[in-house]
Amino acid sequence: MADDTKSLAQGLKRRDPELLDLLIEQYQYRLFRYLVYLTSSRERAEDFFQETWIRVLERGHQYDGKSKFEAWLFAIARHLVIDWQRQKKMQSLDELTDTAQDNPLQIEAHNEPSPLHLVLSHETQAGVQDSLGRVPAIYREVLLLRFQEELGLEEIAAVLAAPLSTVKSRLYRGLEAVREAMQGGAA
Amino acid sequence: MSNELHTRAEKLIAQQRVEGISREESMWLEAHLRECANCTQLAQRTDAALRSLRQNPIPLPAGLAERTKFRVHLRAEVLREHEPQRRLLWFMCAMSWVLGVTSAPYVWRGFAWLGGHTGAPKLLLQLGFGLWWAIPALFAAAIVLLEHARQASEPEWSDEQN
Repeated sequence: MADDTKSLAQGLKRRDPELLDLLIEQYQYRLFRYLVYLTSSRERAEDFFQETWIRVLERGHQYDGKSKFEAWLFAIARHLVIDWQRQKKMQSLDELTDTAQDNPLQIEAHNEPSPLHLVLSHETQAGVQDSLGRVPAIYREVLLLRFQEELGLEEIAAVLAAPLSTVKSRLYRGLEAVREAMQGGAA
Repeated sequence: MSNELHTRAEKLIAQQRVEGISREESMWLEAHLRECANCTQLAQRTDAALRSLRQNPIPLPAGLAERTKFRVHLRAEVLREHEPQRRLLWFMCAMSWVLGVTSAPYVWRGFAWLGGHTGAPKLLLQLGFGLWWAIPALFAAAIVLLEHARQASEPEWSDEQN
């Protein structure tokens, strides 16, 4: 893997367009899925998807090849989303996390379906997806990175630029939330 | 069975999936699950939730990769076009630094001569000498700022232009 990431880093430094084409193909689904989970909107996720790859082209020289490429890619995407939220004078995902209370970021009010909930509901009638839309965004994000992307805890901490303890705490709470959501959805 | 055992089992069920548990803990948990229907149900529910999470499909918008590649290629072209300018700027800065260093004694002598003839205070001459050194850097900074302003005023590529 080390050799792969090193050659990847060299290619990114050269701004090799063919390499970028390959990377876009290879990571398109994973990046898009992450952005949908993060933004709760397919349209917004599409915009951020394109911006993320532009940023990869421009900042490719910053990737040192020591970590997994996907962790670096997700960190870029996450920063773009947070910058956009700040520009809209909204608080960032981190700021909206109240670790002292069980009051995490909610995209919409408790009783209303979130945009992600709506998106997923329109695409499929599966109860599972409805339930996932009810899990708060900051938990969905870490759950996705851990259980779908199978990133290590340290890698998730790097993506989130958060301490390991925060990542673990979000994962435990997220696991509980998704379990409850599934149970509620099944009921 | 005491509540403490169930609490420990619940904690280990989550921990096992999030960060892993030791062999002893795993053996203890297995033994507990064999005897406790509630905790077994919790473990199964957790696995079912994670399975659903993993299998949750989000369809890709049609042509997203192609549109993105197109934008990335366009941007790469723009960056390539600016590359020689950037190199020239660096070259000019390096040259100005080298010339500044080599010419410093002569320039200083020139300022001293000028001071001797005009009777200008030493502080003024020193300031003038400092300014002389700063001019190339200020010039380079002005070019960079102008370039940034020009780029910012260029219209952003949007889907409407596709």
